[in-house]
Amino acid sequence: MSLPTTPVNGKVEQILARLERVLEDPAGYVRQVKSDRRVKVIGWLLTDVPEELIHAAGALPFGITGGREGFSWADAHLQTWACSLARSCLGLGLQGKLNFLDGLVIPHTCDTTRNLGGIWKHVRPLPMMENYLLPRQVDRPSAKAYLTGELGRLKAKLEQCTRSGITAGKLQESISLYNLNRSLMRRLFARHVRDPETLGNRAIYNIIKSSMCMPKEEHNRLLIDLEQALSEGPRNTVENRHVRVALSGKVWEPPEIMDILDRGGAVVVADDLATGHRYIDADVSETGDPLDALAQRQLNRMPCGCFESGRRDRRRFLVDMVRKSGSAGIVFIHLKYCEPENFDYPDMKSACDSAGIPSVRVETELGNVSLGQLETRLQAFLEMIGGGD
Amino acid sequence: MAGRPPFKTADLMKKLMAEYYAKGSEAREKGVPVVWVTAVFPVEIIYAAGLFPYYPENFGALAAARKVADKLSAHAEARGYFFDLCGYARCGLGDAYAQDHPVGKIERPDILFCCNTQCGSLPKWFQTAGRFYNAPFFLLDSPMIETTPTTLGREYFVEQLKEMIDFIEVRTGRPFDMDRLAEVMSLSAEACRLWNEILDTAALRPAPFGFFDACFHMAPIVTWRGTREAVSYYRALKKELEERAARKIYPVPGERYKIYWDHIPVWPKLRWFADYFAERGALVAASQYTHSWAWKFDTTRPLESLAENYTEAFVNRGFDQRVQMKINFINKYGMDGFVLFSNRSCKPNSFGLYDKRNVISQRTGLPGVVIEGDMSDLRFFYEDQVRARLDVFFDQLEKGGGTGNQ
Repeated sequence: MSLPTTPVNGKVEQILARLERVLEDPAGYVRQVKSDRRVKVIGWLLTDVPEELIHAAGALPFGITGGREGFSWADAHLQTWACSLARSCLGLGLQGKLNFLDGLVIPHTCDTTRNLGGIWKHVRPLPMMENYLLPRQVDRPSAKAYLTGELGRLKAKLEQCTRSGITAGKLQESISLYNLNRSLMRRLFARHVRDPETLGNRAIYNIIKSSMCMPKEEHNRLLIDLEQALSEGPRNTVENRHVRVALSGKVWEPPEIMDILDRGGAVVVADDLATGHRYIDADVSETGDPLDALAQRQLNRMPCGCFESGRRDRRRFLVDMVRKSGSAGIVFIHLKYCEPENFDYPDMKSACDSAGIPSVRVETELGNVSLGQLETRLQAFLEMIGGGD
Repeated sequence: MAGRPPFKTADLMKKLMAEYYAKGSEAREKGVPVVWVTAVFPVEIIYAAGLFPYYPENFGALAAARKVADKLSAHAEARGYFFDLCGYARCGLGDAYAQDHPVGKIERPDILFCCNTQCGSLPKWFQTAGRFYNAPFFLLDSPMIETTPTTLGREYFVEQLKEMIDFIEVRTGRPFDMDRLAEVMSLSAEACRLWNEILDTAALRPAPFGFFDACFHMAPIVTWRGTREAVSYYRALKKELEERAARKIYPVPGERYKIYWDHIPVWPKLRWFADYFAERGALVAASQYTHSWAWKFDTTRPLESLAENYTEAFVNRGFDQRVQMKINFINKYGMDGFVLFSNRSCKPNSFGLYDKRNVISQRTGLPGVVIEGDMSDLRFFYEDQVRARLDVFFDQLEKGGGTGNQ
């Protein structure tokens, strides 16, 4: 964890340290929760899995965001030119670190996720394994009808797994709980943007990532406490001289990338990451049919390379994101071998160029990255766009 | 392979393909929209609507077979497209940027239609091309069928076909003619039927036709499917094959083994592979790839039938189904072993092959091998490594098969 430069009271540090500990070994943490609470745990892979459904079925959703090692376990089953996120998740499963799972939901967002489930099921079957067959075009009416049906199918599978019916009432409650979690994270993010010294990039993104593996009830309590402690803490009077940057990509891996930005005097003010704003942006409507509301949220999510939308051009979205957030530039954090990002990148870059937005692309992998090189590149970029003393 | 008299239909093919490309230019002159489509796409709707379908994948295969994929790709790579993207896409995008066109210029689309039954690379390529050419892009979305086809999936696809027909009607200003669609579907099914009868001759011992022949003769089933031309081409080819069988003309004289190949060929090394196998008395008899075009349509329920055929293609199926489909080919043709091609350009056909190799060997008792490479880009092809793996495979074949030990 990067320690904030301004001293904060013990409570804040305590909470942030707790989240940091969870993220050091998410599987270990969740295994403990499972044995304490005797709850079923359903894992899910990035991105866009409707956790509300899992929660409403009485299970604990656990977002598997990969690890730092165990890649060689995957090599006999998945080519090394699959992205390190997929290889890492499969590696965790093969090492037996996910044996406690009662189920796994894999969303189909790319060719790798589309093939991963079959391999996983073959080599390390879990009691329930479901693909979440997302529509890949999100504009036309057919997508809505289909997605609502697909959510219904997934709901039935989850009910079978937990032997617990998902009533509209339960689902509404779960949706409210998740909306609260998202709004707490958005509020904390806004505070981070306003006052970058209070939390720092690593800490605010740790908050988002830890939300993926912790019970939301507990995460919410921690965040409410955190807000409370922050408002009681000393006001930061140092002038905000951070350079504002936006991030684009799938995941902020390796996590040290946030420390590098912290050290470089940058404040991340916007992103479209699956482990960032894609996760916390936009709530699910709490009125009307809840499955319909989940579908609605999915189809209106921020654009990304995995879904086709003529209605929402990703280039325009990114340029707007940078402008609205007042970022001085954008950092593309791309996972090696990520085809959707790699196809989009040249046009996203030229859209930024045309809009006069400085950009840099760093190619990263989970586990195996030269941090020194990464730091040099990011430092140079931050200096160029006006920060980094 | 040496000394085998060439196919007479090869000339017909050259003529037919020249005509196909000429029709593209002609369409443009007449103001008929030239539309991009993917190989596994209900092109029957495009032909029925009177549009001209152009197959950029065919362009990619041509560039790869002529060994210029790297040259074309370089133009795309210079623009920031990474060399680990699909090789066909890099050829297509590269040619769009290039000044010189070693295999002719890729046709500019007025509209781009794409079906993602095959993969997620095609939609990304077409999206990107749509931005480059400033042309609208329409995605027919085909969620994976993990076990058995579902009503939900089928209805989703049928709805999208209706959306696509509306989209075409708006663009052309003409009502869509369902009778014409039934006609085109019949022609398409007839060509598929003939094509599959031709492919089936590879089961004869010795066989007059194998996978490498099929790779050569497949262009019309892709591009001309849905027209009379395709039907007459495959009638002619079938007739010629009967003659050749009677005259005992075989691709692998003294055929000792039949090999199943999965999936696409290594285009720039087609000859290298053909020779390697022929020298060892092995006929590569069949592949799921060339068998992709095996549609059987029910024209009384055209849209449903199109949906079933185009979503249920092997590449869109789950792990177990795909293994079973490969085993079915192996049994049907009496294969003695199998080669699985881990293709850098094609994740859907490659991911899972390591485990599938073991499963297929266990269930069939036949030796199998996974080779690494790329369908178009020789930078990912290490001849010595591939040869070494195949040599081991042939050692196992000689010993009368193995049981899944690599």
